[in-house]
Amino acid sequence: MRLRLLPGLLFLAALPLLAQTTAPLPPADMVIQNATVMTASHGTIEHGAVWVHNGKIAAVGATVDAPATAVVVDATGKWLTPGIIDPHSHSALDNDVNEATSPVTPSMMMIDAFDNRDAALYHALAGGVTTELLLHGSANMIGGQAVVIKNKFGLSRDAMLFPNAPRSIKFASGENPKRVYGSRNQLPSTRMGNFEIMRQSFEDAKVYMAGWDAYNAKVAKGEKTAVAPKVDLKLEALADVLRGKLYVQIHCYRADEFLTEEAIAKEYGYKIRAFHHALEMYKVADQIAPTGTGIATFTDWWGYKDEAWDAIPWNAVMSMRAGIKVALKSDSNDHIRRLNQEAGKMVHYGGATEDEAIRMVTLNAAWIIGVDDRTGSIDPGKDADLVIWNVDPLSTYARAEKVYIDGDLFFDMAAPGFGTPHFSGAMHSAGGEGGEDGQYDGDGD
Amino acid sequence: MTRNVRISSDLTAFAIAAVLLCVGSMAAGQSAAKPIAITGGKLLTVSHGVIENGVLVIADGKIAAVGPAGQVAIPAGATIVDAKGLTVYPGLIDPDTTLGLMEVGSDENSSDLAEPSDEIMPHMHVSDAFHAETELIPVARLNGVTNAVVAPAPEDSVAGQDIFIQLAGKNRDEMILGRDVALAMNYGAGQRRRGGRSEYPSTRMGLITQLRQSLMDAQHYEATRDAASKKSDKPEDKSGEKGGDKSFQRDLKMEALLPYLHGERPVVAGVYEGYDVESFMKVAQEFHLKVILNHVTRTQEILDEIAAYKVPVIVGPIYDLPRPNERYDAVYTLPAELAKRGVKIAIASGEAGGPGGAHSVRNLPYSAGFAVAYGLPYDEALKAITLNVAEMFGFGDKLGSLDVGKTGNIVLANGDPLDVRTDVKQVYIDGIAQPMVSRQTRLRDEYNK
Repeated sequence: MRLRLLPGLLFLAALPLLAQTTAPLPPADMVIQNATVMTASHGTIEHGAVWVHNGKIAAVGATVDAPATAVVVDATGKWLTPGIIDPHSHSALDNDVNEATSPVTPSMMMIDAFDNRDAALYHALAGGVTTELLLHGSANMIGGQAVVIKNKFGLSRDAMLFPNAPRSIKFASGENPKRVYGSRNQLPSTRMGNFEIMRQSFEDAKVYMAGWDAYNAKVAKGEKTAVAPKVDLKLEALADVLRGKLYVQIHCYRADEFLTEEAIAKEYGYKIRAFHHALEMYKVADQIAPTGTGIATFTDWWGYKDEAWDAIPWNAVMSMRAGIKVALKSDSNDHIRRLNQEAGKMVHYGGATEDEAIRMVTLNAAWIIGVDDRTGSIDPGKDADLVIWNVDPLSTYARAEKVYIDGDLFFDMAAPGFGTPHFSGAMHSAGGEGGEDGQYDGDGD
Repeated sequence: MTRNVRISSDLTAFAIAAVLLCVGSMAAGQSAAKPIAITGGKLLTVSHGVIENGVLVIADGKIAAVGPAGQVAIPAGATIVDAKGLTVYPGLIDPDTTLGLMEVGSDENSSDLAEPSDEIMPHMHVSDAFHAETELIPVARLNGVTNAVVAPAPEDSVAGQDIFIQLAGKNRDEMILGRDVALAMNYGAGQRRRGGRSEYPSTRMGLITQLRQSLMDAQHYEATRDAASKKSDKPEDKSGEKGGDKSFQRDLKMEALLPYLHGERPVVAGVYEGYDVESFMKVAQEFHLKVILNHVTRTQEILDEIAAYKVPVIVGPIYDLPRPNERYDAVYTLPAELAKRGVKIAIASGEAGGPGGAHSVRNLPYSAGFAVAYGLPYDEALKAITLNVAEMFGFGDKLGSLDVGKTGNIVLANGDPLDVRTDVKQVYIDGIAQPMVSRQTRLRDEYNK
């Protein structure tokens, strides 16, 4: 491929459009070439190239047919992957992770706590993370609704939202809800209480939905005197679960609880998108696989509480071999910075291929969030969320050198200061490790 | 172990290798009667470079010979372990763990991490709480960790005295290689905890004053004790018994500080902030403490000063988070920055913000590897989890490198020990092939039928 470089011209052309940031607009066409391209969807291409056009991947292959005006990024000796995706993060919420005042809080919207200048976003970006699912905590059986972000650190809050991403809601089970409410001598203090709260909540939602259905029927019949029922944000959210409008993401550890959760989902007619943590999935993987529920799991965190005592680092690969869609996740402001290494451990623990391993932190993680048609692999038509690594990203020695989101450079290790072309000024910090479980003192608060 | 077949061909190879190795050596727990010759492997000696096609002989539990193939005589009757394609290196040593002081993290009944009733607790001996049969030890051992320092959690200014352990042995007495090998000290915001702000000490000023007073009290105690002892030697002392004035009451707390005031053993000072390091080191110098600094993850501004102290440093966890407006790699690059300044460094397995590693000890080599990614020379990284740790805690003549006369703590792996993708194939401790099983492998095998 021969290209004529015109970066200067492109830069000048972009100048009048600069409004909010000091960084130049990304080029209309860019080619990253001579990289070892791990596509996550169709294997690895040695000395491969990716053509990015207007923020989308236009082509990928041994060669690409890009226009001569394309800006060329030479990645000789480097590795290229899709952006890393974390399907379980509590970063950048100023520690407002749990509305732990009631075990059922489905109308809480995590977007309301999102702090787009939190340093945790920057640290994750420097680890190659381009998309995060920011979840409510696990204090409540039914928690709040998540926000999906693109890690465009330096842009406005609105500009960081993943456009039209599916809505997710966080459920929890097991030790955390029963400890939080049990310690106050409230329901639930047992797993019996946990699950009964869920059933009762959906019974309430059914009545609520029936009220609205009756009203809508009257309106349809032209009854002018029909009075709309009260809108109840909590019941409305639960109704959306039953209507299949929310992806259900369940914090759940124990084998028996996966089975109970699936039974309740079946009883009330909703689908579970993924079990999170899911450390005992290897015990019942054959039973869960046919449900189509995925998992977002740790690689090797274990033993921090009773329900993590039977965790084994082979869980992810064993579950994958049983046919379950497996993603790895951080639940931590620390681990989110090196999810690529966590994927590397899967080669060690269970013999995942490099292809399978990288998929666990890219395409499969995108699937958990429901954005796998837009990001998570290097395929034409997808968002150009890309990371250039110095060496194989699955090795301990990997550093993210350049991180692109929608074709725009958001992290450049070689750049001065923070290495963030779009960010300047001061960062915030919520303090703490930003995680819930798996931390040494993981207390679910 | 053939049950592993279904999980992957890689594990099958692992199973076969393990069986071959076990057949060739001996069951765990038996003494090493026959010499073992590990041949054809790539030897990372730590002390004298890499030997590509090397031979390592273990006899009577110790390293009897090391060298290139052809230059090392293999004793008659030796068990030959073919290590072709494998990397052979000394067992890893974690300088800061809580192994044996906790089991399930959230379970208070199995937790003996710290005694928080007072800030000055030098008379707490980790050896009294160490649970040798913990399920955590085989898990760590499977990844090539053969030795560790066990220290109390950093809740007190003086938290207690550490032990140095071997991750194999019949019982506690076999596993503890050294009792009271170091004094665990801490200084910083974490220790000023007394009743909110209402009880002394509630500030760093209080903590330092309390510490200084305690060390002076110990000096005074020693002088009083020695005077009492002399008094008892005088002819007019009618008791005539050795051991001094019988009416003299020992103070175990004060006594526990004396070896450290004499500089006989190191204190491990857990400090994070640069200005806290400076405050602590003033006291340490005043009392001539033999210091090993621990953590120092927020000392980027005073690295030259730290180097000038000429003390070894356990640096990290490398996973500690930087301050909000620091560059993302401010902590990742610390091991390299300190080593560059000639500081002898060790690296521990702990997670960000936590006490010494327990469940995470198996990840020790990856911490070191991550330091390499951010500029630490590879050889320094390997030393930081082997020989340097042994030397800091007084085991430099026995552990930490592949040298003749040292303990036969040897690891065989299928690649670079610092890489997350590498499988450890066999671990020897005291020249004995350890069973490559843990509670976790048993669960894996049970559900992988």
